[in-house]
Formats: sequence, C-alpha cells, structure tokens
Amino acid sequence: MKRLRADLHIHTVLSACADLRMSPRRVVHEARRAGLALIAIADHNAAANGPYVRRIARGNPAVLLGMEIQSQEEVEVLALFDDEWACLTLEEELYKDLPDVDCDPDLFGDQVVVDEQDNIVRTVRKLLISPVPWALPDVVRRVAQLGGWSVPAHVDRVPGGLLAVLGLLPEGDWPEAAELSPWSSANDTIEQWPALGRLSLLRASDAHFPHEVGRGWTELRVTEPSLAELRAAVQGVEGRSVSLGPPCKEGR
Amino acid sequence: MTVAGVVEHLALDVLAEGDLSTLVTGGYCSDLLSDVLAHAGGGDVWITHQRHMNVVAVAKLKEVAAVVIVRGAAPNEQMVERARAEGVNLLMSGESAFQAAGKLYRLLSG
Repeated sequence: MKRLRADLHIHTVLSACADLRMSPRRVVHEARRAGLALIAIADHNAAANGPYVRRIARGNPAVLLGMEIQSQEEVEVLALFDDEWACLTLEEELYKDLPDVDCDPDLFGDQVVVDEQDNIVRTVRKLLISPVPWALPDVVRRVAQLGGWSVPAHVDRVPGGLLAVLGLLPEGDWPEAAELSPWSSANDTIEQWPALGRLSLLRASDAHFPHEVGRGWTELRVTEPSLAELRAAVQGVEGRSVSLGPPCKEGR
Repeated sequence: MTVAGVVEHLALDVLAEGDLSTLVTGGYCSDLLSDVLAHAGGGDVWITHQRHMNVVAVAKLKEVAAVVIVRGAAPNEQMVERARAEGVNLLMSGESAFQAAGKLYRLLSG
C-alpha cells in the first residue's frame, strides 16, 4: 500500500474559462511540480485533451480522463474514467445534445484541443459551458453504464454545487463521495450541510491556471494510482483510505 | 385565494393533486433549492424550472401551497408520482416564469 496525492479536477485550454497556457504539456509539468501521483482532466462537458495529457505523462502522474458535466438542473458533476473510449463516447453524446450556441471567444475565451507538442488540433465550435439537457440521474446512470464514476463537483459551491442547486442530497446510493471546494474547511462545510458527513470528501484544485494545479489535493492510501483503487479507497476496502488535504489559502 | 383559484386564473395543468383548497398567501420564484429552503414561506406558490425529485421534498418541507413548473417542461412520471404520494400540489404552466409570476402577483394583490 502506498500513500499518494491526487488532484482530480484540472481544466485545460479546452475550457473557455481556463488559461491559454493550460496545454496538456504544461498540465503534466505542473502536476509533477506539485508532487501529484494521480490527476484527472475535467473540462466543461468535454474530454478531448485528456488523452494527450495521459500520453505525455506516461504514468508520471497517472491520468484519469474525465469531464465536469453540467446537468439540466445546473448541477456540476465530475465524471471520471480509466477507459479512453468510454470517456470519449460520452463526450460525443453530450456534444450532440448541447445547445447549438457558438462559443464567442471574445466573450468566453477559446476552446482548444492541443496535442503533445503544443500544436492546436482543432477548436470546438459549440459553447461547452452550457448545461446539457440531461437530468442529473441520467448523467449519473450513463457514466456508470460506461464504466465511469461520478461525484458532485465542488459540492458546497453557490451556485453550481449540488447542495446549492438541489438543497439536499438526492435519495439513493449516489453519491458515494463529493468534491469539496479548494478553500473550504471540511468541518465548517459539514456543519452547514450535515448530510455530507456520511460521504467521503475529496479535495481537488479545480485549476484553471498553471499555478493552481495541486492547490487542493486528496491523499490516497492505495496499491496504485487508478480509478478502481480510488473507488476502493473511498469505500475503505482492505485498509485503503482517502484523506483530505488542507484548504487552499489563496486565489479565491 | 386557494390553489384551485390560482389553477383557474393562470390556466395551469394539475399534474399531481394534493389539497387544492389550500390557501395561497404568497409566491416565490427560484431554481436554487437551497434558496427556496432558506427563503420561501409556507403557503407560497413556488414557481420554478427545476424538475428534479428533490423539488417534491423541498415543497413538502417548506409546506408551500403548490409548485408550478413553467414553460411546459413536463417532469418525469416518477416525480409526479412522488408528488401524489406526498400530497404536494404539482402544477404546470405553458408560460414563462416571468409571465406566470406576473399573473400570480396581480391575482394576489388584487
């Protein structure tokens, strides 16, 4: 069993709101700088830069593919995958259903797919920060069908976090865990939303700028940095565990 | 004014019927359920776009007189059934939140 640091919510230049320097190469560089052994790439409703990050990193750090999906209710969900095909399949399904609104780069910023050598592969036409017209339970179900795992992103954020939007945790066995905002104290957040006390809390950076990578992290006690081990750690299987890194003090 | 009166004056569809004789004392518009939990009052007609199951739970908790889903965006059958089971008046308007709220305001002030 190893102890390792994970940052499971990192944006790249594919998110219009992220810094243009957040190319796959730069993200890998920053993740190594921050001592992360596992990262997840989670752009808004899109995943296309994840495979490049993974190919550049070659295991250092291990890279999960993912997306930050905004449901019809305007709840933001981190969807994480090991499998590239599964993640890109979901990306394609979501893109088809996204509102047909063009991203105006002057207003929103650029949405760019960038390869291993920092070359621009393509720009994405539709505005990715629109909610997809999928109800939250359907998002959760589809992610699971494709072998992925989903948790509410920055669950305590107002608005955009699940608790602000839905007021209460949904009934049923989802979610098992929830991402906390980089700045939030777990105790204060649980005091405000007692229902969170029964979930595993994960901290991540939600980095949009290079220096933000790793500003929030979770320590995993696992055998290897993978999605299966992350899930086992959340469930506390055979001595595996997750523990929350400290709140980020700056850059709010 | 009762919920039945609001249904008639705003030409609403009744998706799930709790007690339509409930008195309406005000209104509240919000799509953030945490905001509704914090600020809506019992007896309000709650006007919203949200169609998540938690709407029923929040409506029940706050004892609102009725929930009005706007723009004719029908919720799924599960939510309607839950509203029925919980005795929550679940209504639908084909109009926008602005129009529905405007009409309700005029009705309650008149």
